[in-house]
Amino acid sequence: MLNTEQIKSLIPQRFPFLMLDRVTDIKEGEYVKAYKNVSIDEDHFRGHFPDNPVFPGALIAEAMAQSACVLLKVSIKDLKATQFYVTNIKIRFSKVVVPGDRLDILVKTVKMTRIGGIFETEASVNNEVVSKGEMTFACK
Amino acid sequence: MPQVDDLTLEKELRDIIAKIVEIDPDKITLEASFVEDLGMDSMMALEILAAMEKKYKIQVPEEKLGKLKNLKETIKLTKEYL
Repeated sequence: MLNTEQIKSLIPQRFPFLMLDRVTDIKEGEYVKAYKNVSIDEDHFRGHFPDNPVFPGALIAEAMAQSACVLLKVSIKDLKATQFYVTNIKIRFSKVVVPGDRLDILVKTVKMTRIGGIFETEASVNNEVVSKGEMTFACK
Repeated sequence: MPQVDDLTLEKELRDIIAKIVEIDPDKITLEASFVEDLGMDSMMALEILAAMEKKYKIQVPEEKLGKLKNLKETIKLTKEYL
């Protein structure tokens, strides 16, 4: 289990763009499980959408990406990279996520190297998959 | 490990590369440089390596990424691990 401060020690994102509250399980080189509690207080709900708050799919993808960064940093101990850039992404979104949901993230390694990685990603709410796909990162 | 003849391997690898680089397979000649002729970057090379591993159920070390210079070298590298 990693708390927010421990997550912040591994990845560069900060409020309001830190999309992980906890890492609940991690197996080096293989997978990471994390979650974000989605709150109505988050600023994007003012516009996405007025009177119909829906957590943006782009931010679900960001939560997946940040989880993958945690996995990379924990798995490759001497990784010097401090910045991570998504270079390819293919994600299908199947259900909406709304305030009050706990967004659970599962990221599995397809290929991990010092220059970047490829990961299978899945997000779920109440054990129902809301989105899944694959993303590639470059480490700088 | 799956058995695959040279022509099939060439065709399958060409298709993998074409899909990742988003280019017409016919443009991927044996000698065409992935970087200079096809516009490939290092992350695309990583995706090709991962696709090769998945397709042929092989493991290719990260250090071999630099060998992915053209289709001819990619075929040679794949055969080393089949």
